[in-house]
Amino acid sequence: MSETKNMIVNMGPQHPATHGVLRVVLELDGETVVRAIPHLGHLHRGLEKLAETKTYHQALTLTDRMDYTGALINNLGYCLAVEKLLGIEDQIPERATVLRVCLAELQRIAGHLLWLGTHALDIGAMTVLFYAFRERETIIDMLEDVTGARLTPSFVRIGGLAADAPPVFFEKARAFVKELPSRVDEYELLLTKNKIWRNRTEGIGIISQEECIQYSITGPVLRAAGVKWDLRKVQPYCGYETYDFEVPTGTVGDVYERYLVRLAEMRQSIRIVEQALDRMPDGPVMADVPEITPPPKETVYEDIGCLIRHFKLMSGGFKAPEGDVYMSVEATKGELGYYLVSDGSEKPYRFRVRPPCFINLQALEEMIKGRMVADVIAVIGSLDIVLGEIDR
Amino acid sequence: MINVTIDGVRVEVPKGATILEAAQEAGIRIPTLCYLKKLSPIGSCRMCVVEVEGCTKPVTACDTPAGDGMVVTTDSEELREMRRDVLRLLLVRHPLDCPVCDKGGECDLQDLVYEFGVTAESYRTEPFERDVPRYVSPFIRQWPDRCVLCGRCVRACKEVKGVGCIQIVDNGFYSYIGPVPGVECISCGECLSVCPVGALTDSVHPTKARIWQAERVPTTCGYCGVGCQLELNVLNGEVIRVTTTDFDRAPNFGSLCVKGRFGWEFVNHPDRLEKPLVRKDGELKEATWDEALGLVARKLQEIKDEHGADAVGGLSSARCTNEENYLFQKFMRAVIGTNNVDHCARL
Repeated sequence: MSETKNMIVNMGPQHPATHGVLRVVLELDGETVVRAIPHLGHLHRGLEKLAETKTYHQALTLTDRMDYTGALINNLGYCLAVEKLLGIEDQIPERATVLRVCLAELQRIAGHLLWLGTHALDIGAMTVLFYAFRERETIIDMLEDVTGARLTPSFVRIGGLAADAPPVFFEKARAFVKELPSRVDEYELLLTKNKIWRNRTEGIGIISQEECIQYSITGPVLRAAGVKWDLRKVQPYCGYETYDFEVPTGTVGDVYERYLVRLAEMRQSIRIVEQALDRMPDGPVMADVPEITPPPKETVYEDIGCLIRHFKLMSGGFKAPEGDVYMSVEATKGELGYYLVSDGSEKPYRFRVRPPCFINLQALEEMIKGRMVADVIAVIGSLDIVLGEIDR
Repeated sequence: MINVTIDGVRVEVPKGATILEAAQEAGIRIPTLCYLKKLSPIGSCRMCVVEVEGCTKPVTACDTPAGDGMVVTTDSEELREMRRDVLRLLLVRHPLDCPVCDKGGECDLQDLVYEFGVTAESYRTEPFERDVPRYVSPFIRQWPDRCVLCGRCVRACKEVKGVGCIQIVDNGFYSYIGPVPGVECISCGECLSVCPVGALTDSVHPTKARIWQAERVPTTCGYCGVGCQLELNVLNGEVIRVTTTDFDRAPNFGSLCVKGRFGWEFVNHPDRLEKPLVRKDGELKEATWDEALGLVARKLQEIKDEHGADAVGGLSSARCTNEENYLFQKFMRAVIGTNNVDHCARL
């Protein structure tokens, strides 16, 4: 019998199914994966360092560009962190908080839809993409109505929101809330009992609860393994404890269950959006803290005091008290945390992100060792990674 | 020496020192607007109000002498509200100019308004006409509607420059800074440098830049031997303004004459000589320093050899430094070997 040699194959960084510019170095024994080492950094922009040169307000725009499929949630986590640092959490107007929840959940659904479409496409189910992107487009249109941007809104601001949502948003959101559950049924019809889909996903990429915890995995990947851990429940922010929703979990922790968990999460998110729309209070959407938050724009045009406040805040920024703070939110991919260190100046001394994707990706080898090459695609898809956030 | 207690801090200050000076000694900041160390205090803006134990009303710190055993409070909610009220009154007719005002970003009024969180205009009045400036020079533009009437310019003109060509004219709400009839402005720009707001602006260069855009390069004025300290405001490699912001810096303590403050346009001039020229075949041509200095040295040597050292004379310049002048006479005496050396300032 002749001697065989393992083969080293680069998957990526231009591979369409690595979701960006990820390079996985695979060591293969025939079709079987022996090792899989993700090589990162192709999309590194030095975001964290860059943020140290920006005022707290300016640094917000950088957060959009991490997980750009969930930009509003990135904004939210950052703003909550800065608000905690400044100690102004209690001064955020109620309407701003409810709108934040509403927008964040819509963004979560949009993120999951993007994942669903591309993940199914990766494995060969092309139709799903068109269905998923149809609804995603509706959400993106709604977000555009509110924020003016489709992908990188920078809309959640320190102290509240950049502006109030227009009436048309509420109309569209109401209609969407009614429509989405039946749409999710459609996706399920296409995939959940689909024999090919189940063959490609069931029993693939299994990772146990214990391993998940050891790897610090968070988000749907952790929940699919059976751990009921959602920051919105266990460490609530923005009043999530007052909303009625479930945390869907799986038992095995394979690719198929991650799919089921995300679909169930969409249904839960839509429940939250509905509750938020029902309770939407009237009032301002920006806190009034003269040394920190900008005054309402209309007043800037007629009141010199407000003009000066606006000028000083936008040109120089506010000074944050010395200290450090960690604040995390449940992003579409898992725990997105911000660790900020302030030296008392108007710029963060240290701006550190705890990215869910980066950490979830570390378990890739664990999940695909001993499996076939084709399963690598299914597993990477099921991790729902965004390289903008991994590399930052 | 007397003892004063300021916000619980005991300090010893010479007799005659004001409460503000005592506070500075104690390292406590009292907000000010019309006060400037080199000018006589007049207590007109009322920003520096403080409470003194035993006094029924707050007093102004900048012009009240500290007394032995005085107990002063510089910060309380009541004082802050008084300061806010002062600012509200100053803003009553202030135009919405910050976005276009040269001073935006380094304006004392802006800083105070932001610091004290004065946001809504509580008082309203007729806007002040932005009419023709009351006094003008080719270099200084006046914006009467931005003025807060702190009187810094008037005092600087009179006390620092001894000119006294401007004064506060009229009274009450209608007062403004206007010329003193018969006294001519010398365009020194002293008023410009002490103005806390954008009521007096520099009109030499058309390009303006915010404080964080232009680089401020500290340098020494080259016009005479006094050695005044100034800052060149450089934007994209071009000088756009001269400022003096450090009023504690010798020898000029923030003051300049018309030449130092406004006479810098030659720096950017395209015809400015930047390289040595050597005449070749009757025409001046660009040369290297080695070439030019070599030629001068050779010629001097030739003259010395042919006609003796006393055939050479040297005239030095007041625009050089002391060290350069010393080296020049040393060069004439020790290298050339002549006592024919003089200086333009020895009139």
